[in-house]
Amino acid sequence: MSEATAERSDAKKPAKTARPIIECRGITRTFWRAKERLDVLDGLDLDIAEGSFEALMGPSGSGKTTLLNLIAGLDRPTAGKLVVAGTEVSAMGDAALARWRSQTIGFVFQHFNLIPVLTALENVELPLLLTKLPASERKKRAQIALRVVGLEDRMHHRPQQLSGGQEQRVGIARAIVHDPKIIVADEPTGELDRHSADDVLALLEKLNTEFDKTILMVTHDPAAAARATIVHKLDKGRLT
Amino acid sequence: MTLAGLTVKNIGHNWLRTVLTVLGVAIAILSFVLIRTTIDAWETAAKHGAQDRLSTINRVTFVMPLPKRYFQEFNGERGKIEGVTHATWANWFGGKHATREGEFFANFAVDTDSYFDVYQDMAVPPDQLAAWKEDRQGAIIGEALAKQFDWNVGDDVTLVGTIYPGEWKFHIRGIYVATKKSVDRAQFIFHWDYLNENLPPDRRDMIGWIASTVDSAGRAAAVSEAIDKEFDDEDVQTRTMSEQAMNKEFLGGASAILGALDIVSLIIMLIMMLVLGNTIAMGVRERTQEYGVLLALGFRPRHIAAFVVGEGVTIGLLGGGLGLLIAYPLIEQGVGRFLEENMGAWFPYFSIPPEVAAMALGFAALLAAIAAGIPAYRATKLDVIDALRRLA
Repeated sequence: MSEATAERSDAKKPAKTARPIIECRGITRTFWRAKERLDVLDGLDLDIAEGSFEALMGPSGSGKTTLLNLIAGLDRPTAGKLVVAGTEVSAMGDAALARWRSQTIGFVFQHFNLIPVLTALENVELPLLLTKLPASERKKRAQIALRVVGLEDRMHHRPQQLSGGQEQRVGIARAIVHDPKIIVADEPTGELDRHSADDVLALLEKLNTEFDKTILMVTHDPAAAARATIVHKLDKGRLT
Repeated sequence: MTLAGLTVKNIGHNWLRTVLTVLGVAIAILSFVLIRTTIDAWETAAKHGAQDRLSTINRVTFVMPLPKRYFQEFNGERGKIEGVTHATWANWFGGKHATREGEFFANFAVDTDSYFDVYQDMAVPPDQLAAWKEDRQGAIIGEALAKQFDWNVGDDVTLVGTIYPGEWKFHIRGIYVATKKSVDRAQFIFHWDYLNENLPPDRRDMIGWIASTVDSAGRAAAVSEAIDKEFDDEDVQTRTMSEQAMNKEFLGGASAILGALDIVSLIIMLIMMLVLGNTIAMGVRERTQEYGVLLALGFRPRHIAAFVVGEGVTIGLLGGGLGLLIAYPLIEQGVGRFLEENMGAWFPYFSIPPEVAAMALGFAALLAAIAAGIPAYRATKLDVIDALRRLA
């Protein structure tokens, strides 16, 4: 990562280690719309240090979410090498990639994406259904995750009984319940008012500083980006 | 929570639609059970017909009579036809209730001395049987017929003859109880002598059929052949077959109706499957983003397919269970009782066979799984990023 492509948002919050947990080398992602070629990412190089809290900013269509999807193992690059948490995800098959995601990545979505028929506790327990943990242990871990996000008194509420900020905190609890190394957050404050957004950002900071989670966040919100250790700016598929 | 629990909870996404679909399935299952029970009730007499009881009728058609003297070959010179243990005769009377002529019931003129020796699956209290034999105008009726017309022992009743015109007066002397499913519980049985002596001379001494029991059901075919051979040289030849075979032959005339009912019941299930498929497809479409989230979390396409199929099967089973819950009291206590009491000749026992209930529930689950097949397959083909982008 060159100094030209990133800026520190706060000199007091340096990355905890220089060892990269995410290594992007010459990443290209091309889409075809009818016969029109769209190079959304164009030979991108990027390192994200383990234990850091970094943000991706840029105008719409700059490739932020595409890059996030690649790093999270939801998509594969057209060209280039992508190593995340020691695994070359660009070379993995669908089944291995799904298993890897379920163990390594925690997702925080802009629209929260909670299952409406499940309680907060059940929503948080979802990723653990893919493990061999007994039901009692799954429940215990989901309760702990909800306690971490400060919602232990709302665990039996359904999403429609929660505020937007609370829903996003449940989403964050779901992202950490299986103890992933990396949390990817796509516009986590995009649907929230300022106060709720600040709560969510504080929570992400807490996960980074107290629980050593590497956090990569896509955002349009300068206030959210200000919480990150490093902000990467993209434009037209390249870091600027 | 478990994966199965999650599947079941998924039906709560749109309660109104789920409830309406479950009700739709329940009505389809209720209709299916009602039709299959009707078919089964219709076939009961044939299925349970005695194999060791033979009926000898006019070879041309059962509508034409036999000379009464034929009975002597069975009874008067008993032992002449090897294998026959008991024999009797009867004649179709075709009478109707004097005021409720639309309510059909079977009525026969029979030989009082031998009839209940052959039809031992009709139990009559000994004192009533004795009283009936003593009274030339006596009649014995089935319990269902007694209930249908509120007739009791000691009542005087009048039947209006159709084949034998006139008003025929009887005294109810006994009520029989069926001891086998095949027995019509709404018969009206009276003395053949009473009929015969009141007929013009040219119509006398004719009978409808001869019924006989054989010492072994395994010999029924051989004995039947021997009986018919006995009358080969007579002006009127006979045709003899087991009661079961005769019932089946009689049912053969109604096979088109039964076949049509069969097809209707299957069409109902097909409609149910389409309704379910539509509901499930709508649910999958609405929850595309939700499936995208599950895929992002690491769930595999096979998990998503299992959720979709499981949801369909859950709705199918709920509907099937509800349909059966409605069907049992409706048929066992309502429609079934009414038909047994008022149309006992056609439906001696109208009750849901356990195999029909099991088939209905099995069909509900199976067809729901099939209906969910296409939406489930489509769900497995979802691209996780496209699915996440889709707004609910």
